[in-house]
Amino acid sequence: MSYAYLFKYIIIGDTGVGKSCLLLQFTDKRFQPVHDLTIGVEFGARMITIDNKPIKLQIWDTAGQESFRSITRSYYRGAAGALLVYDITRRETFNHLASWLEDARQHANANMTVMLIGNKCDLSHRRAVSYEEGEQFAKENGLVFMEASAKTAQNVEEAFIKTAGTIYKKIQDGVFDVSNESYGIKVGYAVPNASGGGAGSSSQGGGCCS
Amino acid sequence: MRGEAAADAGAGYPRSPEPHDLSDDSDYAAAAAASASIHAAIRSDMADIGSEETARVDVVYEKERVTIHPTQYGSSRISGKLRLYLQLGALFLSWEPNEGVDSFSTSSVTAEIEKYRNLYTIQALPVSDIRFIRRYNPTFGLEYIIIVLSSGLAFPPFYFYNGGTRELFATMKQHVFIIRSDDDPTLFLVNDFEDPLQKSLSSLELPGVATVANAMSRQNSFSFAGSVNEARHGDDAKHGGPSSIYEYGSKQKHKLNDPGRDLSLQVLEKFSLVTKFARDTTSSLFRENHSSGSHAYGRQKQEHVWDNRISDKYKDQQITQDDTSVLSDSTESDELLLVWGKKRGSPLTVDEWRAFLDPEGRIMDSKALRKKVFYGGVDHVLRKEVWKFLLGYHEYDSTQAEREYLAAMKREEYEAIKSQWKSISATQAKRFTKFRERKGLIDKDVVRTDRAVPFYEGDDNRNVVVLRDILLTYSFYNFDLGYCQGMSDFLAPILHVMEDESESFWCFASLMERLGGNFNRDQNGMHAQLLALSKLVELLDPPLHNYFRQNDCLNYFFCFRWVLIQFKREFSFDQIMLLWEVLWTQYLSEHFHLYLCVAILKRYRQRIIGEGMDFDTLLKFINELSGQINIDQAIQDAEALCTIAGDNGAACIPPGTPPSLPVETDGGLYLQEDDVL
Ligand SMILES: Nc1nc2c(ncn2[C@@H]2O[C@H](COP(=O)(O)OP(=O)(O)OP(=O)(O)O)[C@@H](O)[C@H]2O)c(=O)[nH]1
Ligand SMILES: [Mg+2]
Repeated sequence: MSYAYLFKYIIIGDTGVGKSCLLLQFTDKRFQPVHDLTIGVEFGARMITIDNKPIKLQIWDTAGQESFRSITRSYYRGAAGALLVYDITRRETFNHLASWLEDARQHANANMTVMLIGNKCDLSHRRAVSYEEGEQFAKENGLVFMEASAKTAQNVEEAFIKTAGTIYKKIQDGVFDVSNESYGIKVGYAVPNASGGGAGSSSQGGGCCS
Repeated sequence: MRGEAAADAGAGYPRSPEPHDLSDDSDYAAAAAASASIHAAIRSDMADIGSEETARVDVVYEKERVTIHPTQYGSSRISGKLRLYLQLGALFLSWEPNEGVDSFSTSSVTAEIEKYRNLYTIQALPVSDIRFIRRYNPTFGLEYIIIVLSSGLAFPPFYFYNGGTRELFATMKQHVFIIRSDDDPTLFLVNDFEDPLQKSLSSLELPGVATVANAMSRQNSFSFAGSVNEARHGDDAKHGGPSSIYEYGSKQKHKLNDPGRDLSLQVLEKFSLVTKFARDTTSSLFRENHSSGSHAYGRQKQEHVWDNRISDKYKDQQITQDDTSVLSDSTESDELLLVWGKKRGSPLTVDEWRAFLDPEGRIMDSKALRKKVFYGGVDHVLRKEVWKFLLGYHEYDSTQAEREYLAAMKREEYEAIKSQWKSISATQAKRFTKFRERKGLIDKDVVRTDRAVPFYEGDDNRNVVVLRDILLTYSFYNFDLGYCQGMSDFLAPILHVMEDESESFWCFASLMERLGGNFNRDQNGMHAQLLALSKLVELLDPPLHNYFRQNDCLNYFFCFRWVLIQFKREFSFDQIMLLWEVLWTQYLSEHFHLYLCVAILKRYRQRIIGEGMDFDTLLKFINELSGQINIDQAIQDAEALCTIAGDNGAACIPPGTPPSLPVETDGGLYLQEDDVL
């Protein structure tokens, strides 16, 4: 299927926070609590539409366990967007956010859009991190924030699409040189020649709109 | 609150290394004196590596008795000389083994060790290729360092018998930029900033340092090899056809007279000790069809046809069992390998199994048994019995009575270990963070392991609880290693086969004796295997190796899952039981799984190279092979490769690499850190 742009996303955060469930909810619209734990990385993809343009999200769901980090870091390269996930019922997953962010800043490109997600908000009776704390952390670090639930699907769609919207806006604003794939954006093939005309053939001659 | 803080620090999330001024380090003073004094011109043999004119070489650090422990062979070790030297403004590290092997080796193992000596030699490693160094100065025992390259690969530990790690770092610090991690005092990020302006700039913006380091050392011109053993090669290696193939790999960062320049070539020469026959076939095999890697559209199509042709041909060939005759037909390159492995046999049957046992239940001919299992696997009903031998829990020459006695003893022992955590009360657990964390992690993971397999299906499945109990018990049995993700993947099929908690535990424990290194915190076992894999590909498929090198894929992280859990996620549950018993026979090699990696990569090499896959694309491609790989074919290919590679293949694999039995050091088998879960 043709797309105007392809964005590479990574999902990061501690083990068990629900990264794989979020991905599955987004790509397959279902919640499967017995999904296998992730070793290394897994992939998912879905088409969305922004500004009437088909955009393909290629999503990298990484393993959260600490001892795999030296490997998972190598997956950050060239991601346009990241979902940084914690579990609102487990405080330590929130406490580790800073180190995840640090990792992302070191190993991903500087213009990567990061969305902070407090997952499992269906379990608010067991909440260990308040909404305000999440919001505060996001604010301090310049992230977009949402609480979501992979189980009920609440805000899952929104989280992925809002991130894509932010990236798309950055393209429109000329923040990226889309011909440079290290930004995690690929220009697709079949775009009705829209404003800026950035989307060419595989030659990707067109720069970005100004 | 206390618990929380501990958990935070304890989980060991290393923040980026904060600047840590080394000048207050006592190391610094120690070395200022040491390094200044050694400025000696180095022997010319070191200087002429890959350069016409002899550029001036200044040795700034030199230490004797810096030693590697290939402890698979008892107490033998390879002692050598570690040097830092400056050439044309750049800093290089070298390590040369001394002639001969250190004391304590019996002559029979000496030859074995000789084989590995050159494997470890480092002739000219640009320090800019080093990502970080870990330095351990244990209170008891030897100080040692582990060097990790920017490609992600690591050298085995260097032990300093005469001390000197402090001077080493202090000397380095005078020439390159080093920062020490605040969180992890053993960790030193190394960076080579030749430009003093850049140096001062980057020390101002520290958070970026690691990234800069990456960018600066993209070319992975590292080498484990070096001094080519001329005597052994003879002419064969010198006019090795391969050299022409390597030319397109010459996009080098370094200047022409850079000593690091031609390392890859040397490595290749070194590994081209392959018999002439094998070398000729392999190089002609893999040369064809290799183009510049541009992605023309037509290529894919053509290649598709090619694939079909192979598989058709392959069907025919399978019937022909005569290996050698097929081999002599050298026109149909890859197909040689595809058909060369012996046809897969049928699983070991009950009757056949009985025939292997003497009246008291001893296995008369364990080699023949392993061979049988290697070629055909084991009938499912026999697995419960046979796996205990393959895994090393039962000795082949034990009698049935001895085994029954052992099982009873082991059952008691298991219960005793299990009671250690069973008896931890809620109040005690409250003050036992490590226990709570470990249990929490295991609890979370067992419900995410093979739940689609009927044996583990459904809510409140009893077997899931047993899985949990075994893993938690194991983490007490082997507290240093603890629990790591991936273990449950290994245990699930074992429990499914054994259907007995204690027996499963001991089988799993036996397996971990060999594969524990996969789960070691510093990932040493994984790095060793990935390094060995890269050496094997270099030996068995130089163009593919070159392709990976040019595309920054040499760390082989895309094979991480394959290696970590031995293909568990790539095959169905039934297939994995078969594959594992084949691997466990160690019939052709302890490291048959690495040949399997090579075999699969080779089968897809045309797509990989033809489509010009970069790291991301390759990783995704490899991931998506899950469920697509023909297991019999892969085993057959691997068998052929393993045979072709022979001793030279074995020499690519450093001793102690899992699943070889691990290297035992004074500090215990597993790296102990506060934050092991
Ligand atoms: N109630 C609830 N449970 C969830 C939610 N998302 C995930 N879970 C549960 O949390 C567990 C872990 O989810 P995963 O998606 O496997 O976690 P992960 O982040 O991918 O973990 P790793 O792969 O180990 O890094 C699963 O067993 C789910 O049952 C959610 O939104 N609500
Ligand atoms: Mg996951």
